[in-house]
Amino acid sequence: MQSVILRKVIKLVSSALIASGILFSYTVTCAENEVATLRDAAKIAEQKEPNIIPKVINKDIKQGRNYPMQPPVIPHTIRSYEVNKYNNKCMSCHSRQLTEESQAPMVSVTHYMNRDGNFLAEISPRRYFCNQCHVTQQDAKPLVVNTFIDMHSLMKQKTAKDNQE
Amino acid sequence: MTINRREFIKANAIAAAAAVAGISVPVSASNLITSSELTKLKWDKAPCRFCGTGCGVNVGVMDGKIVATHGDIKSPVNKGLNCVKGYFLSKIMYGKDRLTTPLLRMTNGQYNKNGDFTSVSWEKAFDVMEEKAKTTLNEKGPTAVGMFGSGQWTVQEGYAAVKLMKAGFRTNNIDPNARHCMASAVGGFMRTFGIDEPMGCYDDIEATDAMVLWGSNMAEMHPILWTRVTDRRLSAPHVKVAVLSTFKHRSFDLADNSMIFTPQTDLAILNFIAHYIISTGRVNQDFVKKHTNFRLGETDIGYGLRPEHPLEQNAKNNGKTAGDSVPIKFEEYAKFVSTYTVEYASKLSGVPESNLIALAELYADPKTKVISFWTMGFNQHTRGVWANNLVYNIHLLTGKISTPGNSPFSLTGQPSACGTAREVGTFSHRLPADLVVANPKHRAIAEKIWQLPEGTVPSEHGYHAVEQNRKLKDGELNFYWVQCNNNMQAAANIMEEALPGYRNPKNFIVVSDPYPTVTAQAADLILPTAMWVEKEGVYGNAERRTQAWHQMVKAPEGAKSDLWQLVEFSKRFKVEEVWPEELIAKQPSVRGKSLFEILYKNDSVAKFSLDEISEDQLNDEAREFGFYIQKGLFEEYATFGRGHGHDLAPYDMYHKERGLRWPVVNGKETLWRYKEGSDPYAKKGSGWDFYGKPDGRAVIFALPYEPAAEEPDEEYDLWLSTGRVLEHWHSGSMTQRVPELYKAMPDALVYMHPDDAKSRNMRRGDLVKLVSRRGEVQTRVETRGRNKPPKGLVFMPWFDASRLVNKVTLDATDPLSKQTDYKKCAIKIVKV
Amino acid sequence: MKKLLKVGWDTLSSPSGYYSLGFLVLGGFIAGIIFWGGFNTALEVTNTEEFCISCHEMENNVYEELKTTIHFTNRSGVRATCPDCHVPHKWTDKIARKMQASKEVWAKFWGTINTREKFQAHRRELAEHEWARLKANDSLECRNCHNFDYMDFTEQSQRAATQHSGALANGDKTCIDCHKGIAHQLPDMKGVEGW
Repeated sequence: MQSVILRKVIKLVSSALIASGILFSYTVTCAENEVATLRDAAKIAEQKEPNIIPKVINKDIKQGRNYPMQPPVIPHTIRSYEVNKYNNKCMSCHSRQLTEESQAPMVSVTHYMNRDGNFLAEISPRRYFCNQCHVTQQDAKPLVVNTFIDMHSLMKQKTAKDNQE
Repeated sequence: MTINRREFIKANAIAAAAAVAGISVPVSASNLITSSELTKLKWDKAPCRFCGTGCGVNVGVMDGKIVATHGDIKSPVNKGLNCVKGYFLSKIMYGKDRLTTPLLRMTNGQYNKNGDFTSVSWEKAFDVMEEKAKTTLNEKGPTAVGMFGSGQWTVQEGYAAVKLMKAGFRTNNIDPNARHCMASAVGGFMRTFGIDEPMGCYDDIEATDAMVLWGSNMAEMHPILWTRVTDRRLSAPHVKVAVLSTFKHRSFDLADNSMIFTPQTDLAILNFIAHYIISTGRVNQDFVKKHTNFRLGETDIGYGLRPEHPLEQNAKNNGKTAGDSVPIKFEEYAKFVSTYTVEYASKLSGVPESNLIALAELYADPKTKVISFWTMGFNQHTRGVWANNLVYNIHLLTGKISTPGNSPFSLTGQPSACGTAREVGTFSHRLPADLVVANPKHRAIAEKIWQLPEGTVPSEHGYHAVEQNRKLKDGELNFYWVQCNNNMQAAANIMEEALPGYRNPKNFIVVSDPYPTVTAQAADLILPTAMWVEKEGVYGNAERRTQAWHQMVKAPEGAKSDLWQLVEFSKRFKVEEVWPEELIAKQPSVRGKSLFEILYKNDSVAKFSLDEISEDQLNDEAREFGFYIQKGLFEEYATFGRGHGHDLAPYDMYHKERGLRWPVVNGKETLWRYKEGSDPYAKKGSGWDFYGKPDGRAVIFALPYEPAAEEPDEEYDLWLSTGRVLEHWHSGSMTQRVPELYKAMPDALVYMHPDDAKSRNMRRGDLVKLVSRRGEVQTRVETRGRNKPPKGLVFMPWFDASRLVNKVTLDATDPLSKQTDYKKCAIKIVKV
Repeated sequence: MKKLLKVGWDTLSSPSGYYSLGFLVLGGFIAGIIFWGGFNTALEVTNTEEFCISCHEMENNVYEELKTTIHFTNRSGVRATCPDCHVPHKWTDKIARKMQASKEVWAKFWGTINTREKFQAHRRELAEHEWARLKANDSLECRNCHNFDYMDFTEQSQRAATQHSGALANGDKTCIDCHKGIAHQLPDMKGVEGW
């Protein structure tokens, strides 16, 4: 159902070309509820039955990053993991001195730097609350496809093109 | 097992990932590209698109696409950090349902209010808009035309919109969504100091001894400021953090003093602190004598509902005088607050006395430097202006203001709520630089700068945000343009006001947005819009920092910026079509001209040529209009404030600097206003100079606790508070389209106490209905999430387009600020 | 007063002149059962969650925290009550723990932890008692339900399986070494091994 609507909206999007007069003239129409891509195609006064609460993905399998600076998402559940002023459960596996035992990835070196870029012996207090940047992923299907292109895909497209020429 | 654990996990992971992708991994897959030409990214700076913190972001572009973003190391705000939303900025523009053609409701090739959305050209879209606007202006006059704008507009967009509406169409019916978020803060500033925006800055955090969060959940809503708060708290062990809220949330993780209070009783706690300071003899007598006045404010001012509502009928002072006050003496003020004893405040609020005293001590102790932070807890409050006034009271009584570490700090929710909505004055009662339409001198200043005849700008207040929806419903506001916000999702009481308003057959609704939002769904015409670094602009953050960025990528073919839309649309109006003859007669030079020529393509805005833009620099709007329009608009706008305490630097400087905090005088920014030595406007020898007030004195207000508009009763037995979450920004129209953010927080759940769930025979995951007197919304129960409400209160965030919690909320507003209280209404929860 | 006491003592200390030996033995036996039964009943009453949370110190702090954890709500509905983890099942240990608990009555009386702040201030000390007890008995109360022999590692997450099949299997670690703070919030963990 959803993909049908999305396709329709995408068709609408492509009809921009007509608007700019590039293509032959045809128009696309869609009913009010069909533009509601984030709303299960429901009219505003109505509501579709809410999905069940999805489970947190707990497979310990690293997910690729969109670019080097993106904070990695957390590939396991963190239920009842406390991060507060008394203690930081995340660091009991991910801190430098404990990674040998835990075999968890060490937090990046930037996390040991203070505001002025100097290194500290422990995680920097400004990076203390891990959950401000690192989030778990729930087993939910995104409502809308994202067309972001990875820089490596772009570079490969270019090399492929260069090789052809 | 000979393979070690690490190899095992790695091999497992690769195999699993490969299985998911349906491919087999080649033995050696070299993918390293070493050509520097090929791997080069083009970097440029921009402020973040989300909250009011105003983090600096570096944006990496390759082949016309944004491929990476990260926190700007050189930005003094965030020094290289971003929150999870900021780190995913790269993806917000690439939702597959980006709009690229205007969509008009049509039947058989003709506009029809009940037709289906049909793709049309920009030409056709503007034709219909023009016809509708002109018909409305002719038949009902300027008061039937209106615009709803945004604290996410660039400064130039907001300024262009103000000119188009207030001078072009001669209506003050322009208001920003910042009305929902900052209006009470503005009201507080104007009432206490006579000039808008915080006196301090973020540098206060590194200098303070104590920080108090009044309702604010900075850990989720201002994550990067929270990193600075955390840094300070954990680096300096003597520093104390006190957190007050109506439910437990992530900011409590750092709290030394945690306080859950009954909704609305913050007013009583604030008055208790004032009483505590006075009764323990810790008033800063010297400061109070020299720099403050005391006033008694009018009470029983109503709840900003429709006039026929019983609460308005019963309120004594809900008319136009609601903000009035009379001067009183210190002794009278002391007597006024003396009823707010610790016992009374504790009984009312439910906070233990010992916690209240520990909190009051942070303010009272002359040796402790203290910052108060607040956002929507105070502002979205039917006594929001009062709450702002009352927190200034306790800083003024102790003289803890405008010096490093002593700072009452009103945070903002939008990237340019300060820069655009407030400083440009895109409100129904304002003009740039704190000028107001009701003041004839202020209108004259605007008309002079705009080179328009006297009497162009109307003197009557326009419709504010909530009133706009009411007037749409009543059929009095008929041509309505919504830009850069999602008010069908954001406004309270959707079912009774907003939706019937937008769908009223008398009205024509235009919505400009990059994506098909809920508001777009309710529109008659949707205009596809460019966003963020697809255009050049300026934002102003919560610490008065003005930041500029260049266009870095082209918008998708067909999408146009708000600025282009406003200016291009103005070409379609000859002045004779919109102004009366007597006004034109006052300045015959305007005769025959279009609004475009009068407002934008004039010798003020159009005086900077395209030569000032380097050839490899994208700037679609400037090239299309033939002049450097962003610079022209900015420089003209800046003349409002220069020399009047709102000085902005030359436009070009903002492209070089990582933002500057106004007033910028002689190239130098101002960190602490009102303090002699750090603020060039503070008079020599004054010490402090609150120059927003004629006598240089700030006002300490005597204002009482008054109950909320709607409280739980037997039938509707729970408080409902709404708000945001870390992963989504506002209505989620950007962040819900980023898969990682969506999957981190896919749906809006109702957070409730496990005992409240149990007593209703509910459990986590149950499908339930939140029902109020106004509407209902379905969602699922969360009893162990990050937010932990006390018994009797539930929290539901509003980011979720498919679960519109604002169908339930009450459109009660602060009668002074007209800002809606989204934090308090009565509901019941039933199983579906 | 003194006289009264003396009369009472004399009565108790002098042999019975009225009742038969048989009656006294039987009566004593029955009285013993009643007394013993009463003692055990009382003991069991103090071994219920209702008793534990009849003190607001327990209800507002640790019990409130427990409500959101997996030991309170989970997929199969098997839940741990306070005594499941905090009272030994073996009789002698139980009595020993109960005698310790008399100290807690004293603390209740003096209001040692009657506010959240006071409770937080004592939390590390209280937690350490429990950690030490569980470390000493090889996490006996955990193992009453979580029996190592019957764990199916393939049903556990990779991380958990690795730890359980390694350190736990070879006795290097016991449950409490890693699973601190699973049912209540943690105290300040400064200096705690593994943190």
